[in-house]
Amino acid sequence: MHVIAGNLFAISDAQGDIETDPQAPLGLFAYDTRFLSHWVLRIDGERINALSRDDLTYFETRFFLVPGAASHYVDADVSIIRHRSVHDCFHENITVLNHSSQPAEFTVRVEMASDFTDIVEVGQLRQRAVEVSADSANQQLVLRYQRDRFVRETTVRSTVPAEVDERGMTFQIRIAPDGKWETDLHVSVTMGGEDGRDLRADLQSHQQIVRTGMEEDLVQWLDRAPQLVAERKGLEELYQGSLADLAALRYRPLSYRERVPIGGLPWAMGLCGRDALITCLQTMAFTPELAPATLRMLALMQGGQLDDALDEEPGKILAQLRYGETGAFSDRTSALYYGAADTTPLFVVLLDEYERWSGDADLVRELRHPARMALDWIDEYGDLTGDGYLRYQRRNERDGTINQCWKDSPDAIVDAHGRQPAFPRATCELQGYAYDAKRRGARLAREFWGDPAYADRLEREAAALKERFNRDFWLPHREHYALALDPYGEPVDALASNIGHLLWSGIVADDRAEAVAEHLVGPRLFSGWGVRTFATGQRAYNPVGTHLGAVWPSDNALIAAGLRRYRLDVQAARIADGIFDMAQTLGGATPGVIAGYERDLTTYPVQLTTSCRPQAWSSGAMLMLLGTMLGLRPTGDNLLVNPAVPEGFGRLELLDIPGRWGHSDAYARDRTTERRHRLH
Amino acid sequence: MGATAEQYLRQLDTGRRPDLPETTVGTLRLDVRDDGSTDHWYLTIADQQVRVTRSADDADLVVRADRPVFDRMIRGELHPGAGLLRNELTVQGNMQLLMLLRRIFSGPDGARHPRELGRAALVGRTATAARNERS
Repeated sequence: MHVIAGNLFAISDAQGDIETDPQAPLGLFAYDTRFLSHWVLRIDGERINALSRDDLTYFETRFFLVPGAASHYVDADVSIIRHRSVHDCFHENITVLNHSSQPAEFTVRVEMASDFTDIVEVGQLRQRAVEVSADSANQQLVLRYQRDRFVRETTVRSTVPAEVDERGMTFQIRIAPDGKWETDLHVSVTMGGEDGRDLRADLQSHQQIVRTGMEEDLVQWLDRAPQLVAERKGLEELYQGSLADLAALRYRPLSYRERVPIGGLPWAMGLCGRDALITCLQTMAFTPELAPATLRMLALMQGGQLDDALDEEPGKILAQLRYGETGAFSDRTSALYYGAADTTPLFVVLLDEYERWSGDADLVRELRHPARMALDWIDEYGDLTGDGYLRYQRRNERDGTINQCWKDSPDAIVDAHGRQPAFPRATCELQGYAYDAKRRGARLAREFWGDPAYADRLEREAAALKERFNRDFWLPHREHYALALDPYGEPVDALASNIGHLLWSGIVADDRAEAVAEHLVGPRLFSGWGVRTFATGQRAYNPVGTHLGAVWPSDNALIAAGLRRYRLDVQAARIADGIFDMAQTLGGATPGVIAGYERDLTTYPVQLTTSCRPQAWSSGAMLMLLGTMLGLRPTGDNLLVNPAVPEGFGRLELLDIPGRWGHSDAYARDRTTERRHRLH
Repeated sequence: MGATAEQYLRQLDTGRRPDLPETTVGTLRLDVRDDGSTDHWYLTIADQQVRVTRSADDADLVVRADRPVFDRMIRGELHPGAGLLRNELTVQGNMQLLMLLRRIFSGPDGARHPRELGRAALVGRTATAARNERS
C-alpha cells in the first residue's frame, strides 16, 4: 500500500499501519531517509482491521477500518476511516464514526517513531540516537536525529488536543450517537539547514514552487498527453495508468526548479541518470516536458574533476544522486556518483532527439557546452585502452559499481561458459550509443553550433567506429554480435539482449540485421512475454537472474524500436504483443522486470522481489511500444506515421501528439482488421 | 598538504577556463567563518572567467561554511554537493552556481585518469604472457 509524491512516499500494510520490516522498506521516506518507521493506530488498545481501501490517486488513499482482528469482529458499531495523502509532507485524517444510538467513549492512540534509516540500509538496520520531544501544549511530537551538522527531523502535529508522550499521541474521545470525531495529523519532514531551517527554504529553486494542488497537477499532466482510443480491451486503462505512474515518479531536485523522472518505487526514488535519460527517450511523443528538465539538470551535475571515489571525470554525466546519510558521509555510496559509461553518450542522443521532436533550437544552443564536453568525454575518458571502444572500470574499488552499463549487477557480464572477462570491459551496446551520439552530435554541430569542421570529424569517427565494431564484435559462426570485448580485444561470446540495443542505435550493418532479429525472437532469447536479458542454453542463464535471464519491459521497448528502424516489423510486433499481454495480464503498474520462464510453462508472468513497481522506464516502455507500433517519427516539421500493429489489436488512434507541428493525430489498425474491413 | 582556501583564492587563475560554460554568468559570495569572524570572497563569473574580489555585497549565491570546510573543498576532498547534504555548508540563492565551485576548485590529489587503468590492464597481460613464455 503506497502513496507517492516525487521522492516522498509512504509504504504501509493493508491497515495503513507502519512497522519496521528488515525485508521491505515500510515507512514514510523522503530524500532517501525514513522519517517514520512506526505508525500504528489503536482503538481502546486494540489493533484495527481493514474492510476495504480506496486508492484515489497515486498520492492519496483511504482505508476503511474496524477495531479487532478479522476473525472476531461482528457488526462493529464503530468504524474508522484513515484518509492519507502526500505532497511535500504527509497527512492523515483519522475519522472515528459511532454507529450506535448511544454516546460512546474511546481511547484512540497513534504510536509514532522514527529510526531515520537511509533507504540503502533498510536491510541492515543500525541504531541511531533519536531525540524525542513530546509537547502536549502544542499538540506536537518532534523526532530528531543529528550527526555533526547533519539533521533530519520529523514533526507530527494534531489539529485537535492530544496527550503527547514520547511514543505517540493519545486522544480520549466521546462521540454522540451517529456522530463522528476527527483529527488531522500533519507530518512534516525537515532536512536541517542554516539555523535549523529546512535547507530547501533557502534555495530559489524551491521557493518558486507554485503550490497548485496535486489533483489539478495530475489532471493537467494527463491533459497535455495525447489521447489514446483503442479497440483492444484494457489498453486505454493501461495507457492512462502508465501516464499516472510517470506523473507520480517525478520529483524536484534540490538544485533545480523543474521536475525530473526518478527511478522507481521503492529502491530508486532519486535521480538515476540512465533511467531518467531512457525514460525521456521513451516518452518523447507523450510527455516531452520531461526531457528539457532532465537535460538541464544533468548538465548542471556534469562531472568537473577526476575523482576516484566518485568515479568522476570532466564531462561525464551523473549515474546517481542520493540524499541519504550514507551518501552525504560517503559511508557506502556517495551523494553524487558518476559510475556509468552509458549516461554520457545518451545525454547527447536525448538532446538531439528532443530537438527533432520539439524544434527547440534554443535549448541545443544553451546546452552546447555540456554536450560538447560529453562528446569529448567519450574519446578522452571513455576509451580506456586506446582501441577506440567505450569501456568502463571502476576506480572506487570499495563501493563503486562493477558493471557500469544498464546491466549493472556484479555478475551480469559473462561469456557463454559463465566466465567473467577482465576489466576494462567494452560491452557492445555502449559502442552503439557512442556511434549514435557522434552522428547526432554531428547534426547538432552542423545545424546549430555553426561548426561544420567538427561535424565532419564526428561523422568520420562514427563511420570508422561502425566499421571497426562490425569487424571486431561480430561472431560469424553464431551470427550475432559479442556481448563485450575484454581489454585485449577478445570477444565475450554470450548471446544477450544487448544486441537489440545495437539496432536501436543503428550500428548494425544492414545485411546482419535480420540475423540479429531472428536471435531476438528465437526460442533462446524470446520467452513468449518478451526478450530475455540472457539466452537460455548458456552456463550462467537463470530465469530469475536480474540480468542473466529475466525480462525487462524497458529493454524490450528499445529492442522493438530498433527492429522497426531496420524495417523488421513482424519481429517488432511480436515483442510489442508479448509485453502488452504481460502488462495487461498483471494489471496495474508495469513492473521493472519479470522472470524469464517460458510463457507456456507459467502462463502467468512471475515477478521478481527485487523489482521496482512502478518504475519510470517500465511505464515509459509501454508508451514507447505504442509509439513504435504506430511508427511515429518526426521528419522535418511533420510527424510521420507508419504503423505496424500486431494482430488482435484492432484499431488504434493516438490524438493530439505534441511536437514542432503543433498537435497531430495518428491512426492505425492491425492487418487482420484491415482485411476484415476490405471484405465487408 | 595542499593550499588553504585563502591562498587558493588569492592566486586563482583569472585566465579563460574552458571547462566553464560560456553562457554562465553570475556572482558567488563565499563567507568563510573562523572563530567569530567572517571573510568574504566575491567571485564574478562571466565569459568563462572568474574574477575574485573581497566584498560583502549581495550575490546570486551565498555559500557559508567554516574555514576547514572551505579548505577541504578547494582541495577537492569534499564535493560541494556532499557538503550541502551534510549541512557543513549552507547556501542561499541560485543553487545552480554551487556546482561551478567543483570546477573552479581543484580536484582531489592522486586521482587517476581512467586510461591509467587501461594501460595497467594491458601491461599486466604482456607481463603474464612473457612469464608464461619463460616457464
